[in-house]
Amino acid sequence: MAGTIKVKFYALLRRRLNTTAIEVEADGISLLELLTRTEQLAGQRFLDELLDRKTGLLDGTMILVNGENVRLQRNLETRVRAGDRVDLFSPAGGG
Amino acid sequence: MNGWMGRIIRIDLSSGRQEPVAVSAETLRRWLGGRGLGVKLYSDMCPEPPDPFAAGNPLLFMTGPLTGTVMTSGRYQVVSRSPLTGTICDSSSGGSFGAALKAAGLDGLIVSGCAGRPVYLCVHDGTVEVRDASALWGLNTQQTQKAIHGQTPAKTSVACIGPAGENRVLFAAIMNDRDRAAGRGGMGAVMGSKNLKAIAAWGSQATAVADPEAYQTMIARLDRAVDKNPVTGKSLPVLGTSVLVNIINAHGMLPTRNFRSGVFNDAEGISGEKIAESLLQRQSACYKCPIGCGRTTKTRSKSGEGPEYETVWAFGAHLGISDLAAIAEANYACNELGLDTITMGSTIGCAMELHESGVLGEKMLWGDAGRLAGWVEDTARRRGFGVELGLGSKRLAAKYGRPELAMQVKGMEIPAYDPRGAQGMALSYATSNRGGCHMRGYLIMPEILGHPVFLDRFSTAGKPEIVALFQDIAAVVDSAVLCRFLQFAMGLSTFSEMLRAVTGLDFSDEELLSVGRRIYTMERLFNNRAGFTRADDALPPRFFQEELRTGSSRHRLVRLEEMLDRYYAVRGWDSQGAPLAATLAELGL
Ligand code: SF4
Repeated sequence: MAGTIKVKFYALLRRRLNTTAIEVEADGISLLELLTRTEQLAGQRFLDELLDRKTGLLDGTMILVNGENVRLQRNLETRVRAGDRVDLFSPAGGG
Repeated sequence: MNGWMGRIIRIDLSSGRQEPVAVSAETLRRWLGGRGLGVKLYSDMCPEPPDPFAAGNPLLFMTGPLTGTVMTSGRYQVVSRSPLTGTICDSSSGGSFGAALKAAGLDGLIVSGCAGRPVYLCVHDGTVEVRDASALWGLNTQQTQKAIHGQTPAKTSVACIGPAGENRVLFAAIMNDRDRAAGRGGMGAVMGSKNLKAIAAWGSQATAVADPEAYQTMIARLDRAVDKNPVTGKSLPVLGTSVLVNIINAHGMLPTRNFRSGVFNDAEGISGEKIAESLLQRQSACYKCPIGCGRTTKTRSKSGEGPEYETVWAFGAHLGISDLAAIAEANYACNELGLDTITMGSTIGCAMELHESGVLGEKMLWGDAGRLAGWVEDTARRRGFGVELGLGSKRLAAKYGRPELAMQVKGMEIPAYDPRGAQGMALSYATSNRGGCHMRGYLIMPEILGHPVFLDRFSTAGKPEIVALFQDIAAVVDSAVLCRFLQFAMGLSTFSEMLRAVTGLDFSDEELLSVGRRIYTMERLFNNRAGFTRADDALPPRFFQEELRTGSSRHRLVRLEEMLDRYYAVRGWDSQGAPLAATLAELGL
């Protein structure tokens, strides 16, 4: 059996899904693929808070793979592997 | 005049004399109001930096041309020389006091001298009245406001100090509208040194708007923009600023145990998400603010305002504390006693590291939530070890021979973003003209939050340019005067549109940027006269020598030297950070 990737939800996403994390059985797929599977497992749509399917990540969306923003990697094409941790933050701010 | 009331009053508390201060239309255009005009008037009055507690150190309460008009326009700026840092300082506060001061007919109130006994000022109908405050001296900020409300008309707004300001604690705050704070830099201590307990303002004078029709259309459009924006329309209203706890922790830069780590294992326990499901009673908002980032909260035994992000960090991760109720109650205590939560928390953390390293006998232990409120109270009342905590971290660490353990710049404690995780933020801290503060240039916006564009936080390329730009825009917003959180939903061009609609003057983005640059340079000139040099544009050695060991900023150090020369060049300053003659000429200084 392949290992799992831990997808963590924060802020408004957490409230919307009413859960803090989902484990997705996967290895060596793209971030977009992972997010699509996560949405299916969550049983409700939430990706519209993070991305636009045509233009990619929304301004202000923060997705970290093992603590590193995917914008510094390959955005939605970033490869994710079993054992990785993915943090999802919809746009947020403060000061 | 549109936008401005055309009236600034100077009152000398020593003699009781008051007089209007004439300010030309050209000066208003060049400095706007708030921070900018305050710094300009202050510098004219004090070519030589006075002792912060001398009668000759004026304290200015400033509104701006937008005060009382558009969204978030209830704010005011306090300008003086800081007793904590020795720099020029301006401190901003929300609520509605700014709007009340303007409705009372003033663009600004300049307080100089020192009263022979405790007094408070009543500002209304363009005049200032001095009243006896002997019976108020010793009261906390909420008791003070309540007492003054009993002696003034309905809808009066009060700004006051608590025991900390009376006792001249170096980081005492000025509190208004119950729990809003002009927190940083010890403006409350300057107020206390003048025997000035409070200022009450009321009135019904409206700010004239140049083009009311265009103004109304603009307001409706901007209301929609704020509402539609995910940060100002959703995240801030629902989760407040503490939504940042998990975000910054995930980036490995939530300062933990006096900046020895960037990861706090109990971050979830002090997060905005947790506050929303435990302490939160309701959100609260300043005057004309559609965002409402404030949190009204309740613990088992107390209730009050906060904690917001900086405070939940300062009394939480910074001290290794995850007891939210204890953090909230320390916050309430700071509000009531009138103390800056950031410097308070950071100084306690410094003391904890001093104790751990064996040089400080006083038992200050990481994670000791039970003693938190007591330390705050003792600091405000100058009792026991609170006398030493009241020094702030720089003086405290120096006293025990370990100056490097104070996490400060120019004497002001650095807030809740480890600079090793964001090079632009590091440069912004180092060059901030009031010391270690995130509000002079909030580089976390592009480097972490991705507004208005996303920048690589570990790169130094282009950072000097963007830091200077952010600092200049911030100076404009602080002079307008508006809330900086609007910047999540709108940029400089919207601020110039607002200024045009209200004042009728044809402000362009370029003109406003030069206003910001003029303000920043004027502040720098003051600091240079006060003895600050390149050597003070620095950070504690920890950030250059000790790598973070865990989290996603691990193995990183600050690379300030890669940026500082370029920053000075961008600013038109020489290699020691002194503005060049050509720069002064260009800015008309
Ligand atoms: S966003 Fe928050 S701080 Fe700013 S004006 Fe609104 S309530 Fe006040």
